[in-house]
Amino acid sequence: MNYLWHILVMINIYIILALSLNLVAGYTGLLSLCHAAFYGIGAYATTLLMMKAGWGFFPSLFIAILLTAALSLIIAVPSLRFKGDYFVLATLGFQIIIFVILYNWVSLTRGPYGIPGIPIPKVCGIEMSTVFRYFLFSGVIASICGLLLWMLKASPFGRVLKAIREDEIAAAALGKNVPLLKMAAFTIAAAFAAVPGALFAGYMRYIDPTSFTLMESVFVISILIIGGAGSFIGPIVGAAFMVILPEALRFLHIPDAIAANMRQIIYGLLLIILMRYRPQGLFGEYGFE
Amino acid sequence: MNEITIECHNLTKTFGGLRAVDDVSVTFEAGKVTALIGPNGAGKTTLFHLISGALRPDNGRIFYRGRRIDGLPPWRVAQMGIGRLFQDVRVFGKLSALDNVRVAFRKQIGENPLWSVIRRPLVNREEQTLTQEARRWLTFVGLIELENALAEDLSYGQQKLLAIARLLAAGADVFLLDEPTAGVNPEMVRSLLALIRRLAEEGKTVVVIEHNMNVVMEIADWCFFMDEGQIVAFGLPDEVLGDRTVKAAYLGI
Repeated sequence: MNYLWHILVMINIYIILALSLNLVAGYTGLLSLCHAAFYGIGAYATTLLMMKAGWGFFPSLFIAILLTAALSLIIAVPSLRFKGDYFVLATLGFQIIIFVILYNWVSLTRGPYGIPGIPIPKVCGIEMSTVFRYFLFSGVIASICGLLLWMLKASPFGRVLKAIREDEIAAAALGKNVPLLKMAAFTIAAAFAAVPGALFAGYMRYIDPTSFTLMESVFVISILIIGGAGSFIGPIVGAAFMVILPEALRFLHIPDAIAANMRQIIYGLLLIILMRYRPQGLFGEYGFE
Repeated sequence: MNEITIECHNLTKTFGGLRAVDDVSVTFEAGKVTALIGPNGAGKTTLFHLISGALRPDNGRIFYRGRRIDGLPPWRVAQMGIGRLFQDVRVFGKLSALDNVRVAFRKQIGENPLWSVIRRPLVNREEQTLTQEARRWLTFVGLIELENALAEDLSYGQQKLLAIARLLAAGADVFLLDEPTAGVNPEMVRSLLALIRRLAEEGKTVVVIEHNMNVVMEIADWCFFMDEGQIVAFGLPDEVLGDRTVKAAYLGI
């Protein structure tokens, strides 16, 4: 059963990542490659506050969210000056910069050695010490994030973001402050990405920079591509699918030696097939071009 | 005399070696339909780009109701009341017709992400009002039956009507219409023209770029003829269309 709760914890984490990326990539049409950077900043900020300042999980998470949002503004201002492909490249640059900082600022982050012994989050004095409890804990947090993101998307704010995605010149011609709205979407998405970072840290109780690389950003994008961007259910389905897939492959008894590589091959094939036949994903509204 | 709403003074815009707009000074008045005619490449759309803020003039100034607007970003100019119908329409494809109009309303509380979460009941009430208003505009342009259709699934002519409904919802005061009747079937052209006349009658400033001289004769109160970046002739439509230079350069007579 622990295995099941473990899978569900990971699904909860990826649901928040996917739903938040959906706001900026699916709804606004800004393909950001630095989502994992915000995930990582959330994880490290929460961890350092808990361990160095001795704070509890929730106060640390709160400050981590603010910090991530502030950093995302610094990234947004230059990046959003670029259109289309150049924006994507700018976010790629920032993803790498953040990784390099996490990896090399050893006095703060312990670099490649990572930070072990992260305290278990406590809710009203109760430690989330079992996988089952963590599943409930992450489930509640994911639901709250999901509800907030749903409220943002199913609102005039979500609608104007979609209009910007469809035609930003026409949106500007209607008087919409396009630069400000793009920044809002980008920053809100980053702030939400900090939350699963904190959840991951409290669950694994060990973090290192290799969990927050470009590949991780690409993984979240794959979730959106497969599950479908621009809708609400797409990212949820996609997250579940992408987390379960490698686990399901275990049962195919692929020889250990090639199992990891087979998984990559299958992901790649899936993405290619979907791009060809269903670019909007399983439940999507918008296919990346 | 009607009120002058748009004033362009000595506007120049050059692309490389090409003077798209060459020392152009024009004014547009409220309550009138002004036609802007001329051969392709004369600089008419570029003039619209300059007024709407999509391009910055190399020289010259533009005023809207006394306020200087050249150099402002397009969204700022639009917020002030200058609306634009593009030649290539530009509807929001994956949004429904109803959503296309609803998104156009200005000063929506719900577009602020914070209020869309914290003041949800207020936003919901605003949405109800907006939806009613949006339906009124869709009915006005005759698209109410298609309110749930995706904009990209509408015909070209229907998309044009939708774009006009959007401008009406946005509360535009000035309407810059770039070839509103191009590619539209004759019966819809008639509705469009009636609509355009109504806008002027309600005090809006309407400027129309047109290649169809029948349309110009039917709805324009005033006419400017542009050629090679310059205003070559202006006056009442039949005066301009009767002018010898205009006839030679444009009408092929």
